Amino acid sequence: MRIDNPAPDSIFENCLKDDLKTLNAHLPRKRKLLSELLEEKHPHVECGDGSTHFFKKKELEHLAVMLDDSEKQALMLPIMIEVGSVEGGTIVRSKNGTEAEVFSKILDMPIDCKCDVITVFRPQLNVLRKVLKTTTQYIFTT
Amino acid sequence: MSTKVQVTRPTKIELARLKRRMKLATRIQKIVKDRLSILIMEFLQTVKECASAKENLLADFKEAYKALSIATGYHGYAFLEKELLASDMTFKINTVTRNVAGVRLPVFETEEMDSPHFSVRNTPDTSSLIDNSAALSRKCLKAVIELAELQNSLELLGTEINKVKRINNALEHIVIPGLDATIKYLTIKFEERDREEIARLKYVKMLIEQREAYAY
Repeated sequence: MRIDNPAPDSIFENCLKDDLKTLNAHLPRKRKLLSELLEEKHPHVECGDGSTHFFKKKELEHLAVMLDDSEKQALMLPIMIEVGSVEGGTIVRSKNGTEAEVFSKILDMPIDCKCDVITVFRPQLNVLRKVLKTTTQYIFTT
Repeated sequence: MSTKVQVTRPTKIELARLKRRMKLATRIQKIVKDRLSILIMEFLQTVKECASAKENLLADFKEAYKALSIATGYHGYAFLEKELLASDMTFKINTVTRNVAGVRLPVFETEEMDSPHFSVRNTPDTSSLIDNSAALSRKCLKAVIELAELQNSLELLGTEINKVKRINNALEHIVIPGLDATIKYLTIKFEERDREEIARLKYVKMLIEQREAYAY
């Protein structure tokens, strides 16, 4: 066993710090309703780092076809997919169950929303992300 | 690979600091691993989409060239060139970005590609063959734009995966084992110091007892 002077790992720590900063920097300051976004010419939300996250119109139209008017007024976009949460795995928090409705229509299977939480498994996540590329976003938690 | 023990002052404060650091490093590693798995998932999905987009593109181009060669055969090169020069094929691409796990990926969206003023000029001399060829060319253009978006995303995701993998490896093979070894080294050192202290105390106690025995 060798005893060395402490390595200058501050560089590594700074690198990690920057990495973690950028990880959740893309989260929107305020989410928007689907009905609002459908009326915008260039549907977008402002992100925490000052950038702008744009939605594909095709995706919004696809969602609009799936949902009725009251659900369009309730669905907040982008849908946040929590990765590494306490509940384990990947989850989506849904206050009114609209997200569960959307997921069940895309996956073509019933989706449970227990205590405002929808558990999304990896194969399901693949399908969801394929359909909802810009209308879903990852959020990393510990 | 030998694990380096990095300590200058074998003190309890240093041990507490290292333990705190170890906890932080483990938490960061968990996040990094989650991020890596998400990035790999996105990468694989993009690869699949890219492959299918490429296939579509080739099929579209095959059809478009076929239609163009038929139109050329029917009207002749000179006529077709004249018609194409007069055609209005301006289009707009919106280039925006989307963020996937900290990576900014491009999003290309074509605007009003299907509107009528994008078509080839219709005169009595032109035929449906030219219109068909133009429509297929527009389809090709859309496929090219889609493929460009996917390939660019693929490159960016690949670069980020490499970066995250290196961070993960550094944490897994250098930082965490180093901290672990240092913590173990310090714990052993403190235990040894404690044992020495006990032995010393016992020796002192024995000396005192001996002295007291001699005094009587």
